[in-house]
Amino acid sequence: MRWRHRDRSLLLWVLIAGVLLALVVNPLVRLLWASVHGAAGFTLDNYVTAYSRWRYLEALGNSLVLGLAVGLLCIVFGVPMAWAVSRTDMPGKGLVWAAVLGTFIVPSYLSAVAWILLAGPNAGWLNRGFMALTGAAAGPFNVYSMPGLVLVIAASSFPYMFVFTRSALDLISSEMEDAATTLGAGIVRTTLRVTLPLTLPAIMAAFIVEFLEAIALFGAPALIALPGRFQVMTTTLWQFFEFPPRVEVAAAYAMPLLLITVLLFWLQQRIIARKGYVALTGKGGERRLVRLGGWRWPLLGYCLLVTSLGFFMPMVVVLQAAFAKAWGRGFSLDNLTLHNLRFVLVDQPLTRAATVHTFVYGGVSAALALALALAIAYIVRRGLVPFGRALAYVAMAPFVIPGIVLAIGFYAAYTSPPLVLYGTAWILILAFTTRFLPIAYANSDAALRSINPELEDAVRVLGGGRLLALRRVVAPLLKRGLAGAFILVFIPATRELSAAIFLYTTGTQVLSVLLFDKSDEGNFEYLAAIGLILVLGTVAMVLAGFRLIGRDFMLRRTTA
Amino acid sequence: MTLALSLALAFLLGLAAPALAFEGEPALYEAAKKEREFTWYTAHYDSETAAAVCKGFEKKYPGVTCNYVRTTAQVAFQRVSQDIKANLAVASVFSSTDTSHYGHMKKEGWLQPYTPRNLSELIDAFKAFNDPDGQFYATAAGLVLITYNTSLVSEKDAPRKWTDLLDPRWKGKVSIGHPGFSGYVGTWVVLMKKLYGWDYFKKLETNKPRIGRSINDTVTMLNARESWVAAGPSATTLISKDKGNPLALVYPEDGARLMVSPSALMKNAPAPNAGKLFMEYLLGKECNEIMVKFRQDPVNKTVKVPPGMKSIAQVKTIRPSYEEIDKGIPEVKELFRDTFGI
Repeated sequence: MRWRHRDRSLLLWVLIAGVLLALVVNPLVRLLWASVHGAAGFTLDNYVTAYSRWRYLEALGNSLVLGLAVGLLCIVFGVPMAWAVSRTDMPGKGLVWAAVLGTFIVPSYLSAVAWILLAGPNAGWLNRGFMALTGAAAGPFNVYSMPGLVLVIAASSFPYMFVFTRSALDLISSEMEDAATTLGAGIVRTTLRVTLPLTLPAIMAAFIVEFLEAIALFGAPALIALPGRFQVMTTTLWQFFEFPPRVEVAAAYAMPLLLITVLLFWLQQRIIARKGYVALTGKGGERRLVRLGGWRWPLLGYCLLVTSLGFFMPMVVVLQAAFAKAWGRGFSLDNLTLHNLRFVLVDQPLTRAATVHTFVYGGVSAALALALALAIAYIVRRGLVPFGRALAYVAMAPFVIPGIVLAIGFYAAYTSPPLVLYGTAWILILAFTTRFLPIAYANSDAALRSINPELEDAVRVLGGGRLLALRRVVAPLLKRGLAGAFILVFIPATRELSAAIFLYTTGTQVLSVLLFDKSDEGNFEYLAAIGLILVLGTVAMVLAGFRLIGRDFMLRRTTA
Repeated sequence: MTLALSLALAFLLGLAAPALAFEGEPALYEAAKKEREFTWYTAHYDSETAAAVCKGFEKKYPGVTCNYVRTTAQVAFQRVSQDIKANLAVASVFSSTDTSHYGHMKKEGWLQPYTPRNLSELIDAFKAFNDPDGQFYATAAGLVLITYNTSLVSEKDAPRKWTDLLDPRWKGKVSIGHPGFSGYVGTWVVLMKKLYGWDYFKKLETNKPRIGRSINDTVTMLNARESWVAAGPSATTLISKDKGNPLALVYPEDGARLMVSPSALMKNAPAPNAGKLFMEYLLGKECNEIMVKFRQDPVNKTVKVPPGMKSIAQVKTIRPSYEEIDKGIPEVKELFRDTFGI
């Protein structure tokens, strides 16, 4: 019996390992191979080229600063909001949650364009408002700076932090807090000493995700860092792809980042391993809301302020431009037109095809990534096979690879036999799956981690098999978490740019590519119109998703 | 059927069919119809113009679908190189603004020679930019010149020549593109270096210019009132002005930078006949009439520019030679990065 079970697990392990080999290892190995190969065989010249210039090193340093600053700012933005929505009686939770979702849907390159209008040093709306109010000669805001870039990226990517922390908080029962309260701790002390520490694994996972997201972005830095006169890693990588493309140098340049990621995860494991974080025991688990009293409104204000940065304010700018004849003329009735939307929808047949592609590829990628991630997370968590942890590392590896580099790896691996995918939709779908596998994995793992194995053991003690335990106990418990994880992969897949731009062909255009092409056409009216279609389309898809799986997976089922 | 009747019929048919644009058109059109569609990679204009050009082609030649893929020059070239490496035949016609791409493609044997019959209608001044071996032909032209936001700068205060951009009163208010991204900007930088030496950019650096990627980013910067003056493109600026944005052009006294951009037929073109037909069309009258509507400079000598726009013949223009561009762009990219730090 026992051997048969082992065999089946082993088979699954081999299957998953095979898939990961194709999705992650093969493209990476090709890149690594390229990085140490020159015309005359083995060489380290590429590394010398990649690191011999101060400019290139400085860009790496900038990326590190960017990633750390974005990660920290996201904690400031996301954790209080997650706590407010999950654990307190703050009013307007639905609104806050919708705004967070909106923030997540708006691509950071779109909000970067909007922020140029909002906080441009000479004429940004915020600066003009400040000057009008104070009579000062210049405004205080400058989007073209490292703080500007950090703010724009953090304001548009903090939803990872929010969702990770929030799902962790939702699983912590009030009993633990009650215990602290009984022992005489106040709300603040209980929150800081009991509630938040229990969410530490989630916060750390989210921090890593934010860090990697920030250093892998290409669109927002190209729009903000270049005019701000500094380079980051991705904009430097762009140089290596200029004609003649030096993929091998790019590969060499990207390699040390893998080490940093491994280091981060090792650190996370070290910290988590020292403490026990199993919080969901299946024994009751009632959750009560903290009464905030007079603090309810300031907290709501904070939530709305944060979401204004990443959602409300950029969307005002996008709406203005999408319906403007000439966006330089600002708000006025005679400046209104539907021409931009009509052009992108009717006169440019590409937009319609790209819209369909965007959502189909996004949906398929999300489903694939989730299925794969869940299988890996389960195998690893329950220790079903030896060397399971290796699978986990491989599954997390893609996040550190900038989309551009991943795309080049995919390109190198799948344009020649035995497996030719270039020119088909599959290369995009699989690249998206790979790129967002870490999000799916981190989520599945966090969700599984909080389920005590005793729950399954109970089923098995009673004579049920592992599959029965999975189906009747684990799946229902995970449902909400997984639906959330699906959305967390689907949305970034719909706005993914850096991988798409190298892998699309004429028949497989997606909206992000169309949008990015518009960003250097000087045609902000059309860009905004396409951006609006992307945002509204995603919102419609997500709302349809809620209809199907029930809205409650994001909002609390009851107010208890 | 009597001879008279068939003659009359032939006469009627002749009346109904559009006049022959060039010799051999019907046969080429028939062959193109069998191919049904073709793909065109273009960096010559913005997507609105590319869409209109394609639509015009489909109207003139029903039954042949024109699929355009509009990107920047570097991306278009990257795309075509990727296709070829992957043994994919996608594009039939390729239109870049970076002339060095054509030299490379020719050397690699990626192009197929075709001499368009409509070449006789090409403006004479542009003929020098055609490939002597018949592998690529000038099909688009444009200018890099000085642009400004009229709500911030009055006409009399506007810069008149390139060196005026170095004036300290434009400190923090000048917008330019990046030669690492844009073929237009790259050749403009080569030209400025040729005219005024690299000192020009060292001085410009002290004016803290706002550096975008594409030359078209300058239009965005001016519209946003973030920059007041710019080294910008003629067509995109004029299109934006037509929409009502407060923009204007200055034809610099020391010469506007003339960009002549070729198109070529790919050797592995999946639709070679449609591609040839399209090359003819790009040089022909109908296409150029569409182009001028979108503020592109015509390359067909029978097409006149609309009011509000100077024809290239009326403007003092300068441009480096192909060799100077091919050699100059990689060099100025590095210099530019050293000077501006990005």
